Amino acid sequence: MITSFEDVICSFCGCLCDDLAVEVEDDKVTKVRHSCRLGANKLMGHERIKAPMVRAGEDLKEVSYQEAYDRAAEILLCAKHPLLYGWASTVCEAQKKGILLAEEVGGIIDSTATVCHGPSIMGIEEKGMAGATLGQIKNRADLVIFWGCNPAEAHPRHTLRYSSNVCGRFTADGRGCKNVVVVDVRETKSSKNANKFVLIKPGTDYEVITALRLLVASKDDMVPDEVGGVSKKDLAEVVQVMKASKFGVLFFGLGLTHSRGRSKNIDNALSLVAELNAHTKFVVMPMRGHYNVGGMGQVAAWETGFPMSIDFARGQAYFNPGETAACEVLGHKEVDATLVVAADPASNFPRSIVDNLANMPVIQVDPYQNPTTLLADVVIPSAIAGIEAEGTAYRMDGLALRMKKLVNSPFPSDEEVIGHIIESVRRLKGTVSCNDKEA
Amino acid sequence: MRTITLRPLRAIGVPLEAEKISPDVFAPLSLSQIRSLEAFQGNRRTLIADHFKVEGDEAVALVEETTIRLEGDFSRVKRIGENMSAGTIEILGPVGMRAGSGMKGGLLRINGNADDWLGREMRGGKILVSKNAGNYVGSGYRGEKCGMRGGEIEIDGSAGAYLGEHMCGGTIHVSGNAGDFPGAVNQGGIIVIGGSTFLPGAEMTKGTITVRGKATVLPSYKKVEEIQIEGLAYQKYIGDLVENGKGELYVALG
Amino acid sequence: MIIRGGIVYDPANGIFGEEMDLCIDNGRIVEDAKGEVIDASGLLVMPGGVDAHSHIAGPKVNTGRIMSPGDSRMGTEPKTAVCRPSTGYTVPNCYAMGYRYARMGYTTAFEAATPIIESRHTHEELEEIPIIDKGALTLFGSNWEVMECVRDKDISKLAAYISWGLRASRGYGVKIVNPGGGEAWGFGSNVKGLYDPVPNFDVTPAEIIRALAQANEMLQLPHSIHLHFNNVGKPGNYTTAIETLELLKDIKPSRMRQIVHVAHMQFSAYGGTSWRDFDSQAPVIADYYNTHNHATMDLGQIIFGNATTMTADAPLEYGNARLLHAKWSNHDIELEESSGVVPLIYGRKMPINAIQWAIGLELALLTKDPWKVLMTTDHPNGGPFVNYPEVIALLMSKAKRAEEIATVHELVTKRTTLPGIEREMDWNDITIMTRAAPARVLGLEDKGHLGPGADADISIYNLKPEEVDPSKDYKLVKNALSLAKYTIKSGQVVSIDGEITATPEGKTYWVDAAVPKADMDRLMIDLKAKFERYYSIKMSNYMVQDAYVTRPMVIKTGEQVSEAVQ
Repeated sequence: MITSFEDVICSFCGCLCDDLAVEVEDDKVTKVRHSCRLGANKLMGHERIKAPMVRAGEDLKEVSYQEAYDRAAEILLCAKHPLLYGWASTVCEAQKKGILLAEEVGGIIDSTATVCHGPSIMGIEEKGMAGATLGQIKNRADLVIFWGCNPAEAHPRHTLRYSSNVCGRFTADGRGCKNVVVVDVRETKSSKNANKFVLIKPGTDYEVITALRLLVASKDDMVPDEVGGVSKKDLAEVVQVMKASKFGVLFFGLGLTHSRGRSKNIDNALSLVAELNAHTKFVVMPMRGHYNVGGMGQVAAWETGFPMSIDFARGQAYFNPGETAACEVLGHKEVDATLVVAADPASNFPRSIVDNLANMPVIQVDPYQNPTTLLADVVIPSAIAGIEAEGTAYRMDGLALRMKKLVNSPFPSDEEVIGHIIESVRRLKGTVSCNDKEA
Repeated sequence: MRTITLRPLRAIGVPLEAEKISPDVFAPLSLSQIRSLEAFQGNRRTLIADHFKVEGDEAVALVEETTIRLEGDFSRVKRIGENMSAGTIEILGPVGMRAGSGMKGGLLRINGNADDWLGREMRGGKILVSKNAGNYVGSGYRGEKCGMRGGEIEIDGSAGAYLGEHMCGGTIHVSGNAGDFPGAVNQGGIIVIGGSTFLPGAEMTKGTITVRGKATVLPSYKKVEEIQIEGLAYQKYIGDLVENGKGELYVALG
Repeated sequence: MIIRGGIVYDPANGIFGEEMDLCIDNGRIVEDAKGEVIDASGLLVMPGGVDAHSHIAGPKVNTGRIMSPGDSRMGTEPKTAVCRPSTGYTVPNCYAMGYRYARMGYTTAFEAATPIIESRHTHEELEEIPIIDKGALTLFGSNWEVMECVRDKDISKLAAYISWGLRASRGYGVKIVNPGGGEAWGFGSNVKGLYDPVPNFDVTPAEIIRALAQANEMLQLPHSIHLHFNNVGKPGNYTTAIETLELLKDIKPSRMRQIVHVAHMQFSAYGGTSWRDFDSQAPVIADYYNTHNHATMDLGQIIFGNATTMTADAPLEYGNARLLHAKWSNHDIELEESSGVVPLIYGRKMPINAIQWAIGLELALLTKDPWKVLMTTDHPNGGPFVNYPEVIALLMSKAKRAEEIATVHELVTKRTTLPGIEREMDWNDITIMTRAAPARVLGLEDKGHLGPGADADISIYNLKPEEVDPSKDYKLVKNALSLAKYTIKSGQVVSIDGEITATPEGKTYWVDAAVPKADMDRLMIDLKAKFERYYSIKMSNYMVQDAYVTRPMVIKTGEQVSEAVQ
């Protein structure tokens, strides 16, 4: 029997499109309409982990869920400094349990922002952020700038639903009434949709943004003939377009967060946008990758005071990106066990860090196998959030939506899994015998 | 002069947080009490004696008369000398993160490399490093206006990125190179870099940065004049003009 | 439980410092009870504090946290057997929010402003705040549907929209902030006054305010409209305050309460023409309140030190940030509102801040009837709520005020009347301003008093009112009020001498207002079109679901209206 669902929320990227139509048969998603290819692939699903497993020697052997929870609890209790990592591709309800678990086992909790928009958050900590919801942009923006991001490939429906190719109340002519500027180190699919493409030399974003700030402040004589491979004439033209717009928006991505300058690039861009507000309306937004990495930042902030990279080892919250972020503590071998939920560090982290991960106990909670599974000592399959389990997610602009449950599943949700691990931790605390190899 | 020496008993895995290793803490305590001071290893509360052999003078002394010698590899011991106000810590070996954080006075001498966050939010006193230092030397806490407000840091080798960012006072001297963005958002203080660096003084409003090697300078720094200082020729700049800054940047010529 | 021998202040029931026992059963005050006895002999006993205007939950608050890790660091406390870790001073984390209110003897706090489309977030945070009962006021003042109803003079459709919006946001009442300005800010401008038309909508703030007040009364909501004036924070804005109050005086309230509650009046009591000749017009405002009975206000008192300004008055925040060269966050919300967040520091020696500090106190001391004045700091705009005891001590002691005045910028003496004010408030006044009046203003019948049937929310302070002279012993007053000897919430002891002993979960109040089906049907035509064309999400995903309000206290209204439908 086929069941149809309307207004389904996609669980792939930060666009959090909520207009999907999904057909389900025999507890499987059989058809997805309106979504992009990335979302459809996610919702259609693929082969998944069938049962909990614990590593015995070289192989993973199947165990019961309770055994897996207890083994995970033992690992976390024996660790002097466990890391609880990931969280970006699951719902807030699971993230909340994750934070509670980190508090109870005295470890660090961090999200995939560490390899993504962590620098953006650090920039916001310096400058604040002039933002808006995506609907505001849909209805008002007549200038859309994409800097260091490629929405055509990474956020395929962004331009149709929210930014450059959509009509709204004050933008009734859609693409026709908008100016699109793309800034990048190479031509991309997105730059082909642009009215103006600005090619910049890799690693020069900070200087180019500074030059733009000078031009916005009418300090033209300070700007040399060329900055970052961009002519002064081109830079001046961009600023002219910015000032002439009624409502401009700057979207930025990993091209800015991960090139030389990193969080300084972002904080410079945030200041550029703040200064543009003296001339016209301007907002800025990071193009969040995973569908609920934004949610993890929000949940962590209201529960702990900090949006990411929080260390509870001393019984209180300590935040210091540059010291407590997942990449850093794994790189410096500061943690001795890792719980990975809804993420794949083995694929996304640098090789040396993955080697460190391989040398410690790893617990993985995920519906699907991925390269991290190869490193895991405990593997716990969970229900797919947004399809088999409901819960809250936050879109890239901070808007919260409730993901639906479409199908029944024999798998426990991430929220339930972490909840059970917490129960095991509480029950086993003080009784576990650990193998302390070193001081 | 009271001297107390600590030597690691074995290699340290998960780093220690040893903010109790400070002349202010040690000075009034007996050796036995010092051995019983807590040091956290991750979430484990352990004792100084669990990790270090403690020897030295038994009699208590004034803080300013107390010297702590750390002999060996302290690269995985964090927060040494945190908030110290007087006395001396000498480290014969590398030292871990956040050494001398919040220091108010006294001397922290490191004969080795120093890890990130050396002298974070320093207020006074002196830090000497014979080799290299990491990122965020003499910096502030995330998003706060002022980091280092006083004191002196001298690094014989090179330093990492964000040297003295958010500085409001004090002096930092690096003989070698400094990584990206030294002196970012500074409102005061003096930074001298013997080697080369990238984009010094980003958003600086006041303070002085001198670079004896090469520097990539921001377009928002205005050339003022060429000037001789101690026999070396420099280009003097004023900036950062995105902040209408009046900071002074000197970059060696030729 | 029995609380024995306390000196009880319960002004709502005519009890002014009488030695009496209080009996609790099943979470309520009762005539007689057995059980645990708490010895409160000679100690000050009041109903639990009620904070009617505070920014405790939602997107703005979280933005404040995210952009200020230094603030989170400032208030860091370790976890205990009972408490989760705390952080924050001006923007505490959710747990600290509950623990710190409870330690101070407060048991109810309302979030001052939630935008409908982002109320899911607001409730996620409210759910996470332990101990206290709470609610949130829903923003309506710059909303497209509101302005279109106002333009069409369709008050019944407007009432339907309020009903729908309260349900969609699980909100308690109608909050209006710089009406029209939130929309103007969508393109970077603002409204300059009550009669300045909102660009693209052809309605004025005056029309918006009156229409919302009328709709509010049509719905018989427990609370009146809750209004943040236009021109807040601008020198000379006291004229806007008086003008706006005059605008509303002919409207009849549907319940025994005010027709309008004015938020943080201190920020709207400014004279002068610029920051240079800026002075206090608190006496004029107080005088108006002394001669009119249709309005109430809360203070918005400044506390020197760190604060984080956060408000739906986004243009005001932009202005703050430019003036102070401070960090600035802004968030414009499609079809509905705008908001801004700017951390700042109020300095004693800064002339403007010193005058602002005096104005809040003047307003309280010069307004004769304490039932019209709620004591707040507009947390965290004026300062964090943990400083309420400081404000109370100032209101009760001229000597303390004189001591403070000597340390602040001297312009206080020239530009305000504070130094000359003799009045010292007593425990009766304070109980009214922090308990009885906020409950009455909000329309919370079981709060703010200790009569039978009231929620057993009680604070007992380590202070003997019959022995202590608050005029002289202001240090003792401030200390005693900072950490209650006992805080009791719904009949359970939650805090003893400043240590949290239990963390029960509080209730969330919201209002379910019925309207005629015909009006709701007309509204739905408008809303369907808006969701099809303008919103970035679907209507079916818009409403706050039950999962986000797990312990609701629903107040139903409008039952008398015929053909009522939910």
